[in-house]
Amino acid sequence: MNYFDLHVHSAFSGGESSLEELAETARQLGYRGVCFVFYYQDEKQLEILIAEINRIRKDIEIEAYLGFEARNLKELAILTKKRKSFDVLLVNGGDLELNRIACSTPEVDVLTHPEYQRTDSGLDQVCMKLAAKNNVAIEMNFREILIWNKATRAKILSNLGHNVKLAKKYHVPIILCSGSVSHWELRDPECLISMATQLGLELRDAKKAISEVPERIVRQARERRSKKWIMPGVRVR
Amino acid sequence: MKRDRLKILLPSLREKERYVSFRIISEEPINYSDLEAAVWNLFLDFYGEVGVSKLSMWLIKNLWDERNQIGVIRCNNIPVQKIIAGLGVISRLGDIRVIFKILKVSGTIKGLKLK
Repeated sequence: MNYFDLHVHSAFSGGESSLEELAETARQLGYRGVCFVFYYQDEKQLEILIAEINRIRKDIEIEAYLGFEARNLKELAILTKKRKSFDVLLVNGGDLELNRIACSTPEVDVLTHPEYQRTDSGLDQVCMKLAAKNNVAIEMNFREILIWNKATRAKILSNLGHNVKLAKKYHVPIILCSGSVSHWELRDPECLISMATQLGLELRDAKKAISEVPERIVRQARERRSKKWIMPGVRVR
Repeated sequence: MKRDRLKILLPSLREKERYVSFRIISEEPINYSDLEAAVWNLFLDFYGEVGVSKLSMWLIKNLWDERNQIGVIRCNNIPVQKIIAGLGVISRLGDIRVIFKILKVSGTIKGLKLK
């Protein structure tokens, strides 16, 4: 099965490890593709990052993708306009307004950790319906589980379980990501699948969440890069 | 004559076993005692005493390969996903950062070695 991790931070975006270390560890763990996530600064940074990602694609036998994570509405507006320049658009969840706008924006691929630093799950039925309509995947971030323990971890697991329940009801795609900021935080895909089953997903759906769902996102990214692509649903024959 | 051993259970009454083999990717080589302590502490923290009692979990000492850092955990057939999820949550053994790579799940030890 082809596994993908679409949320990995490197030293370029507040992480600890280099792109090579992350790509090499992901390859060892059996991932087919990995998406390096950055925070947008300017056009110059974008060009440098595209060159770095292309270098990783050549050097290490793994599919590397370029992703940007919007931390606020301003960044989301900029990244939506530049959507064709990179592969995956993620939105840093946690804020209720941002969660809802991310769910209602078709250009967004993944809403990351909607329950981040919250006492609730960060998503309600309105957001879930919007996410289902716009095909925005809701992330289950494994790092949240990994770095916390005891009561905080229990609350995070409870919130994740709540989101899984709602996502199943409204047929929203769920995506499993490590959310790692170091190559030591990357996890075996089997571990992520098993954790998802503990949170209420069926084994079959958990496998889809780390293979088929991200594969669809990167396939769309490839289509978007082609010259024939104009906008979602419109392409030159 | 006094009997000291239980009668062997009928096959239909015995628990069905599963063996999970894993390899540890770490900064430094890990020894068995550190691994055993970390695994038990994590599982007791994560699932609690009652939860762990239902796993029938055992880290098999004889099958620990220190050179290749490969180990085997035995459990019953129902909570295999719990065991794998638990191994994924272990991020450190002492001060050493680790990643567990799951190699195979099998019903027999022989099945693990065939890989």
